[in-house]
Amino acid sequence: MNPLAHLIISLTILTGTTITILSSHWFLAWMGLELNMLAIVPILAKNTNPRSTEASTKYFLIQATASMILLMAIFLNNLTSGQWTINPPHNQTLSTMMLIALVMKMGMAPLHFWLPEVTQGTPLIPAMIVLTWQKLAPLSIMFQIFPSTNTSIILMISILSIMAGSWGGLNQTQLRKILAYSSITHMGWMMAVLYYDPNITILTLIIYIFLTISTFMIFYLNSNMTTLSLSHTWNKLTWMMPMVPLMMMSLGGLPPLTGFSPKWAIMQELTKNNNLIIPLTMAMLTLMNLYFYMRLTYSISMTMFPTSNNTKINWQLKHTKPMPLLPPLMTLSTLMLPLTPLMLTN
Amino acid sequence: MHSSMILMTMIPLLTPIIITLIKPNNNLLYPHYVKLAIIYAFTVSMLSMTMFIFTGQESMISNWHWMTIQTIELSLNFKMDFFSMMFTPVALFVTWSIVEFSMWYMSSDPNINQFLKYLLIFLVTMLILITANNLFQLFIGWEGMGIMSFLLISWWHGRTDANTAALQAILYNRIGDIGFILAMTWFFLYSNSWDFQQMFILDRTPNSFPLMSLLLAATGKSAQFGLHPWLPSAMEGPTPVSALLHSSTMVVAGVFLIIRFHPMMENNSLIQTLTLSMGAITTLFTAICALTQNDLKKIVAFSTSSQLGLMMVTIGINQPHLAFLHICTHAFFKAMLFLSAGSIIHSLNNEQDIRKMGGLFKTLPFTSSSLIIGSFALMGMPFLTGFYSKDLIIETANTSYTNAWALTTTLVATSLTAMYSIRIIFFALAGYPRFTTLILINENNPKLMNPINRLALGSIFAGFLISNCVPPTSHPQVTMPWHLKLTALGVTILGLLVATELSLMTNSMKLSTPLKTFYFSNMLGFYSATTHRLNPHSSLTMSQNLTSALLDLFWLEKSMPKMTTQTQISASTTSSTQKGLIKLYFLSFFIPPMLALLLTI
Repeated sequence: MNPLAHLIISLTILTGTTITILSSHWFLAWMGLELNMLAIVPILAKNTNPRSTEASTKYFLIQATASMILLMAIFLNNLTSGQWTINPPHNQTLSTMMLIALVMKMGMAPLHFWLPEVTQGTPLIPAMIVLTWQKLAPLSIMFQIFPSTNTSIILMISILSIMAGSWGGLNQTQLRKILAYSSITHMGWMMAVLYYDPNITILTLIIYIFLTISTFMIFYLNSNMTTLSLSHTWNKLTWMMPMVPLMMMSLGGLPPLTGFSPKWAIMQELTKNNNLIIPLTMAMLTLMNLYFYMRLTYSISMTMFPTSNNTKINWQLKHTKPMPLLPPLMTLSTLMLPLTPLMLTN
Repeated sequence: MHSSMILMTMIPLLTPIIITLIKPNNNLLYPHYVKLAIIYAFTVSMLSMTMFIFTGQESMISNWHWMTIQTIELSLNFKMDFFSMMFTPVALFVTWSIVEFSMWYMSSDPNINQFLKYLLIFLVTMLILITANNLFQLFIGWEGMGIMSFLLISWWHGRTDANTAALQAILYNRIGDIGFILAMTWFFLYSNSWDFQQMFILDRTPNSFPLMSLLLAATGKSAQFGLHPWLPSAMEGPTPVSALLHSSTMVVAGVFLIIRFHPMMENNSLIQTLTLSMGAITTLFTAICALTQNDLKKIVAFSTSSQLGLMMVTIGINQPHLAFLHICTHAFFKAMLFLSAGSIIHSLNNEQDIRKMGGLFKTLPFTSSSLIIGSFALMGMPFLTGFYSKDLIIETANTSYTNAWALTTTLVATSLTAMYSIRIIFFALAGYPRFTTLILINENNPKLMNPINRLALGSIFAGFLISNCVPPTSHPQVTMPWHLKLTALGVTILGLLVATELSLMTNSMKLSTPLKTFYFSNMLGFYSATTHRLNPHSSLTMSQNLTSALLDLFWLEKSMPKMTTQTQISASTTSSTQKGLIKLYFLSFFIPPMLALLLTI
């Protein structure tokens, strides 16, 4: 791709999301979403192969549909209330419409089918963008309209997302798909607590983004696409061996690590609101996430797959992909639990 | 006087046992020590017995306060009543002969000293049981006999059969022990005493529960029907062991226990009926089994079983003194039968099958004569030892008005006694030799002849002597018409004649395929085949199924881990199997928004 075009497109992605986050005008927010969507399509189709094209087409169709629904809800909102300010709509039907549109944009169950396929169809970095940056804009709108949405529907969508993410991830060997399902689960957790304490949603989102970026970075170092290929990591990145299990356990939400912090906060918040069954179900279902992360750990750092002898000197070679961000990211994504009180008091 | 006498009886018996502890070296004279100890004990006990007969004074000595458990006091005390005073010399006399016989029979055994020590301990435990005045002491004797019988039956422990027989004996006895312990517990809880006198005073008509437990104990020890298979199997032990086990120890202990507890049982008709019926079944069943056995020792063993049943029947008709009399007389001729069998088996180079004997009357005249005396005594031939007890039992039974079926059964069994006894005589002693040519046949050794001689004298005269010493008030002097008087003799003669005729016929006639009844008798009523195989097999199979199929496979595996896995796998595959067709996705995306909108409108 032309570097100039690439720069402009990247800037547009940033700008679109920023416009959506910053705007207090419904139309401007919609415009930011559209800008962002139109900009990411060429990024997704950067590798000009049919898989990428198919993925970007799917992404475009889904996002366009979701935008249309959102736009319709915005117009109807304007019709009934006569204003463009982003406020929680008074009409619950409209807020449900908006919710459905945003859920579709974020790729949550039961409208999630596109997400694993789009992620699998693109290279690692665009996939990472789809799973992290692209969640910001829709979630910021959700953050503003949630008081008028139907709690039952939100919780149902959350639980369905956690189920779909957990069970879907069990059935995969492809790393990008696994991470896509992991994203679906995490979005479920975020949405579950949105109604009770939106700040925890933001905390969860931030930590999720840290964890996902670190994971993608690890995969990117070796351009790993499948679970099997992970088993060569020891050969190249021996120092990574003890770090990866910690990372994965953090992603699964195991106590002394960063990933536990949002889960703890969410479960505590739901329990405080006399919800007992829902956090229990969520935690039980997320155990399956932990299981497939463990499976990745097993491939990366717990086994030595038989390989031919002449490949065993890779750690002596110089790295072609320097990753200055990886160490701080990994530190953040494993050791941040003690900071939880700081993050939750606001 | 009595107390010092009884101690003087016991102490010589303990001396050879203690000697082995102090000086365990193999001593060539050790068998003689054992024999001498028994002779001394016998002599002293004869003295005390004569004095007892003279004065008729029952007594009890309490030597040593053992322990006190809450309110129950256990002391080492001996009871010297008619039963213990009469039985001790009988047991000692019989054991004296058996020990002397063992010195000949087991002379080639390298561990003969140990063997004789075991025999002696066996006898001592029996004497402990006989003289015990409380349940705890009785239990020591009871269990001691169980252990010693196990050690003695498995004496030739290189043989699998001997080991399994010993295991059978100890396991069947264990079932009986459960009854004994139950009774002990009951008496502990309700009588608060284990002393016989106190227990008997406290409840004259007690609950049936402890009595039934005691009956179970006696069933195990005395090999009554249901727990009988160990007795014929115990023939795997050496012949002196069989002789001791069957005459004066072990098997009569069960009957003796019931006799001891008779004061409690005499008013409980349920227990009386149970004892009577069980005795009758045992005596008939084992007599039937004895009919078709070919093993010499097994026939004698079954005859013991049958006689034990007869003793039970006697207790069942409330005549413990008669049962005791039969125990004493039976000890003489049964020991002698076994010793004669041992002599035959030894002479025929360890051949026990009566079909391979024949004509021994010519080659072993002394043994044969004593075998015949023993058999006739067993049958109840007038004026031999068996007659005095057996005839009295049958007469009392005939004149009693209890359970007529049980008494008829007993009468049939009495007739069968003659049949199997004559079968031994006919096959082993009469006719022509069917054994291989041997020059081993020899009965000149005094260690063989003296014991048999003494026991033969006992088999002829002991009954007369002992029955004269039974207190005349202890059993009713019955009057009866002459045909009832002659019934016992009549059925015996009938059995004898039938058996002789049948044996002659079968000898000259080719047998057709055996009848089902023959198999029933020959296979011991299929009892061992079913209970030893079917019960363990079914319970083991059930347990295996319970542990492996229900517990391991289903409960611990299928119900949770496998079920969880299967659920997750199927949920995972159904929820994430996608075709990648965007049209279908859009169609499916149509449904949730509609539902959500319907919910909110």
